[in-house]
Amino acid sequence: MIDVKGLYKDFGSLHVLRGVDLHVDEGEIISIIGPSGSGKSTLLRSINLLEKPTFGEIWVEEKLITPPDPYLHTEIIRASYTYKAMMAARGEDIKVIREIKEKDLLKENSRFLRKEGPEYYALLKKIIAEHYENAYSVRRRVGMVFQHFNLFPHKTVLENMIYAPMKVNRLERPKAVEKARALLDSVGMLAKQDVYPDTLSGGQKQRVAIARALAMDPDIVLFDEPTSALDPEMVKEVLDVIKRLAETGMTMLLVTHEMGFAREVSDRICFLDEGVLIEDAPPDIFFSTPKSERARTFLDKVL
Amino acid sequence: MQLDFSIILKWLPQFGSALLVTLETTVCSLLLGLLFSIPLSLCKISNIRPLQWIASFYTSIFRGVPLLVQVFMMYFGIPLVLPVKFTAFQAGTLVFAMNSAAYISESMRGGIKAIDRGQYEAALALGVHYAGMMKDIILPQAIKSVLPSLVNEFISLLKNTTLIASIGLVDILRVGQLIQSRTYRAFEPFFAISVFYYILVMGLSFLGKLLERRVNKSDRR
Repeated sequence: MIDVKGLYKDFGSLHVLRGVDLHVDEGEIISIIGPSGSGKSTLLRSINLLEKPTFGEIWVEEKLITPPDPYLHTEIIRASYTYKAMMAARGEDIKVIREIKEKDLLKENSRFLRKEGPEYYALLKKIIAEHYENAYSVRRRVGMVFQHFNLFPHKTVLENMIYAPMKVNRLERPKAVEKARALLDSVGMLAKQDVYPDTLSGGQKQRVAIARALAMDPDIVLFDEPTSALDPEMVKEVLDVIKRLAETGMTMLLVTHEMGFAREVSDRICFLDEGVLIEDAPPDIFFSTPKSERARTFLDKVL
Repeated sequence: MQLDFSIILKWLPQFGSALLVTLETTVCSLLLGLLFSIPLSLCKISNIRPLQWIASFYTSIFRGVPLLVQVFMMYFGIPLVLPVKFTAFQAGTLVFAMNSAAYISESMRGGIKAIDRGQYEAALALGVHYAGMMKDIILPQAIKSVLPSLVNEFISLLKNTTLIASIGLVDILRVGQLIQSRTYRAFEPFFAISVFYYILVMGLSFLGKLLERRVNKSDRR
């Protein structure tokens, strides 16, 4: 359902993600954990393109949502002038490709793409024509729940719920309202449908935010530290909602610091450190016998 | 000198129609100005450099040149070099609108900048396009936060419209000048005009307060 391939993300000179590969199947629940600054949120936010990857590709339901990455399609690199020049000089395919990529990562030939010829661009365009889908249509099918809820403060709870379904999915108002009310009911917030978000507690806001994401009928929901901004006594009510959603078979990607919860609901745990995915294992295995030293150190600190 | 306020009563019909001119000019300029200010402020916050330059150049012109000069330019100057012709009302309204757009867009830019990134992200994550996001999510919140300065702008606009008397439109000020030239009395007409404006401005501030309270209904009670 989701394929992240060779994902790199730089913020200026800061390399947040350094080559992440991740595959998510339909119905899977995956928790991404790791120390702060390890790139967890960036990875999650890349999946609906709130962050634009520096390199790498993201595929959602067989559709390419990022520009094609030439380094993942070696025939494109082979069509480049840079490659041809370097091959003529030295000539060992794999080495040359790796060298070009490394230079590019160091921004040494960041201008190389602009100088390329028609053959190179034709190959890129072919991939785009066959597989590319723009960000807006992807985001419709990928729901997102934020750490800080991000409800629209000038709209009531119900208006928050029906806005995108009506605007983006062209649902008629009565249908949107009916669906919104059903979802609000399922998160226990129906009684609050006519109030403004600022009058709600953090836990209530997050439950509405989850319902709002579900109102778009997403195929997958991304949770970006959904309980990190909550007072301790409100964590459980939100986790309960997420758990119930998990039981419906929804595909979910969850960045969280709630280790117990991650262990309970996840099919897989992905441990990220310094922008690299260093472990990807079922929770029982990960929490009992982590392979890497860094995962062990991390677990010692948080458990 | 004996004060005689009965002349004000005598001229009341003229004052009435002049008041209408003043209000018409103010309201038209404000609405047009608001309309102009939206694309202008969007240019100012956009990532596209040339758009930013155009917008700040526009603002600097309307801030840098005295309003009266702008009015004369539009009414007397422009029609001589461009194939356009304005009535005094059109020229005045246009200048006031363009002028207030410059000021409104400045505070609007601040208002937009002050909105949390999370609001953009939430809208984008729901699949909403840029135009819809701006219209339904960002601008309503921005306008709410700039409402006080918008009311200020409205008030100074109202007072600035006295400048259209200088291109021959009969607004309240012009009526006063007419009275003065006919009767050689200056205190009574200008006193009456001051009172008119004062009442108008007080009324506007009051309306502004009401409006503010209305749009703030979503705040925590």
